[in-house]
Amino acid sequence: MTSELRLLAKNVSKTYGAVRALRDVTFELRAGEVMALLGENGAGKSTIVKVISGLIRPDKGTIEIDGAPADISTSQLSQQAGIAVVQQEYSTVGTMSVAENLVLGQSTAPKWWSRRSLNASARALLDRVGLSDLDPRTPVEDLSVAEMQLVEIARVLARDAKIVIFDEPTAALSDAEIVRVLDVVRRLASEGRSIVYVTHRLGEVFEVADRVTIFRNGQSSEPIAIDQLDVKSVVEKIIGRELGDMYPPVAESLGDVLLEVTDLMAPGLREPVTVSVRAGEILGITGQLGSGTAEFVQTLAGVHPKLAGSVRLNGAEADLRSRRAGIKQGIAYCSADRKRNGIFSGISILRNLSSPWLDRVSTIGVVRTAKEADIAGQTARQFAIDARRMGSSVGTLSGGNQQKVVLGKWIGIQPTVLLVEEPTRGVDVGARAEIYRKLRELCNEGLGIIVSSSDTNEVFGLCDTVATFYRGALTNVRARSEWTEPELVKEVMHRTEAAHAH
Amino acid sequence: MPTDTSTNAATTAAISNVVGTRTRRVDLAKWALPVILLVLVIVAGLTTPGFASFDNLRAILINASIVGIVAVGMTPVTLSGNFFSLGASSSVMLAAVLFIGVFGGTGSLFLALLVTIGVLVAVGVAQGLVVAAGLNPVITTLAAGTIIYGLVTWLSNGAVITPNGADMRWIALTSWFGLPLPIYIFAAYTLVTWFVVERTVVGRRILLIGANRESAKISGTSARTTTVWAFLSMSVGMAVAGIVAGAQLQQIQSNDLPNLTMDTVAAVLVGGTSINGGEGSPLRSAIGAILIVALGNIMLLHGLPTGYRMLGVGLLVVVVVSVLHILRKASLK
Repeated sequence: MTSELRLLAKNVSKTYGAVRALRDVTFELRAGEVMALLGENGAGKSTIVKVISGLIRPDKGTIEIDGAPADISTSQLSQQAGIAVVQQEYSTVGTMSVAENLVLGQSTAPKWWSRRSLNASARALLDRVGLSDLDPRTPVEDLSVAEMQLVEIARVLARDAKIVIFDEPTAALSDAEIVRVLDVVRRLASEGRSIVYVTHRLGEVFEVADRVTIFRNGQSSEPIAIDQLDVKSVVEKIIGRELGDMYPPVAESLGDVLLEVTDLMAPGLREPVTVSVRAGEILGITGQLGSGTAEFVQTLAGVHPKLAGSVRLNGAEADLRSRRAGIKQGIAYCSADRKRNGIFSGISILRNLSSPWLDRVSTIGVVRTAKEADIAGQTARQFAIDARRMGSSVGTLSGGNQQKVVLGKWIGIQPTVLLVEEPTRGVDVGARAEIYRKLRELCNEGLGIIVSSSDTNEVFGLCDTVATFYRGALTNVRARSEWTEPELVKEVMHRTEAAHAH
Repeated sequence: MPTDTSTNAATTAAISNVVGTRTRRVDLAKWALPVILLVLVIVAGLTTPGFASFDNLRAILINASIVGIVAVGMTPVTLSGNFFSLGASSSVMLAAVLFIGVFGGTGSLFLALLVTIGVLVAVGVAQGLVVAAGLNPVITTLAAGTIIYGLVTWLSNGAVITPNGADMRWIALTSWFGLPLPIYIFAAYTLVTWFVVERTVVGRRILLIGANRESAKISGTSARTTTVWAFLSMSVGMAVAGIVAGAQLQQIQSNDLPNLTMDTVAAVLVGGTSINGGEGSPLRSAIGAILIVALGNIMLLHGLPTGYRMLGVGLLVVVVVSVLHILRKASLK
């Protein structure tokens, strides 16, 4: 496919203080193609996206659109040039209807309107993003995350852009929902629009992209046609070195049963769950949003109350009434949303690490700081966190390093069981392998781990045993060796939907 | 991971350099303002005749001690993400009334201290429980302040409460190395609160729930219990401030101390403790209190009326809070 150049950014450079975010980057985009932008955090992807969308002005470099030099130095100019960005965060107003959000939030919003005309124009936009069965009168807060993402895309479509930038549109979606977003992306490209697609998920790239531009250390590669790449070569280009195995080997033998869940019921579950975890085992659980995986893990963590059933830890009935009780019994829990309830972003690494085990290093309520620093220092060494930076706030770290702090803080409670939701969300490829290795090491020391993830590839690659959830019930548990990856994907989408998706 | 560790190490080094400069900028945000403001006051003081004398500086510290003790005491509440107590004036007034009243009535200093601290802690904990149950702290403390003010005015009939001959002047006047006792109380209370915040489990929990309540819950910290502790710590400060104020004034009426709430909030903010919680220190609030009083003092020496003084404090708060907000935002980008 060789069509004309839609956008050409030539020799673009941008420096922030001592950081050279972009170094002489050249980036091109043809009409009607999907260009995937790949790279680790801080490699320059988001900077080039900001340049194209007019949010930042490059220090030097030129931009051409359709062969003519273009000024897109402000976001308004960029929009006028036909460039639109689908944000990761939703800019919709929850209490207003889908139609109101779609039509009234625009600069082209009519000065006065009837409810009917409003719904009619919304209808047309919704059809284009595959939401033909969604009532435009629905309040946005009643939508699923995937639907919200699609409404967000529809909002952008209302502007009739030539170039649409997707900035990690699927970060919060499960596999089945991603299919819907990818369908829309393909449709937009087939209408002759150019798509810039930023993502951490490699699977999607091979499904949707025509070409790939890889960023590394502020420099970009030549665009590469997707059929000349495979997952391994892409990852190696992203991290700039050869990749060992992404996933560590699974356990050779498992120990005694550590955690035994029998007929557990919790709010959000439709059927009681029975499953167990042995010492040295990583149990993976996966399912779509709303499948009950989150409720299951959070109940074990003591975040939500359990309604019925028994949870035995090392043979004794566990007290799951609060997080605090869970911590006392050695249940560690890393939530899916680091920013919201994982890290303390304005607080130092040291104090983030010690947050769950302050009691352990204190005498009559006074923190023994030497002991605190000592345990935190051990954790930092174990997790390759720079010990000289123990005093800097966690908010300044990359996603991967933040995740290491979130995992590391639990080592100090000497956990028996570790519950981890989405261990690598927003973590770049290099740090990802490191986190998998770390989880496996902990497991080899005798911990039992439950990993809940919407990324089936991750669950399949990392875990010893894999359980699938669908609509509030555990549908299948098998040893990893008894699954194949396509089977697992199918099980997650629960057969009928799988057929519909492809 | 095999191969090419050198590039990797170089990248890591580059990144930690970046983080290094960032950290320095955060530290700048932390300490720049107290230092700059201190310098400003010193410069203004040098150009203001009469400012730099020992007697004047001592007067500033004496005047700052009440506001300072309350501001230091209020800091844990601010750090815990519960903003301020807008009932500070009334609470301190209540403490002074109780102290003077009980001391005058019974002649027992011990009983007076016990009742004052006990009642104030009970009132503070009650507010803490209400806030922990989910009510907005600003509304809760404002309402509590109004109720206290109303009750005291009603019960005292608006009369002036006097110590009835009991001697409490020594609390205000005992002096070592030329500095009277209230200044030492201010300093000691600041150090104790600093220790509580920085070095005790409760203090750390206060910082954690202020920094991110949800993360704190996951880490096993109860936001409710911790909030109650923060309010308890604040009410001890108010009791101490009321005792010192009572001893200094020798008498008290329900409508004394009208500007105390605003001055205290200003001291916490000028000190640079984050309104959102999680960041700041009682030490900073103590510095903030001294600065505000010093600023008022300079204006007084220049013969400016009270209105100008309040204008000055108000502007100072706006400038400091804006600058801090910008610095914090920049350092987290």
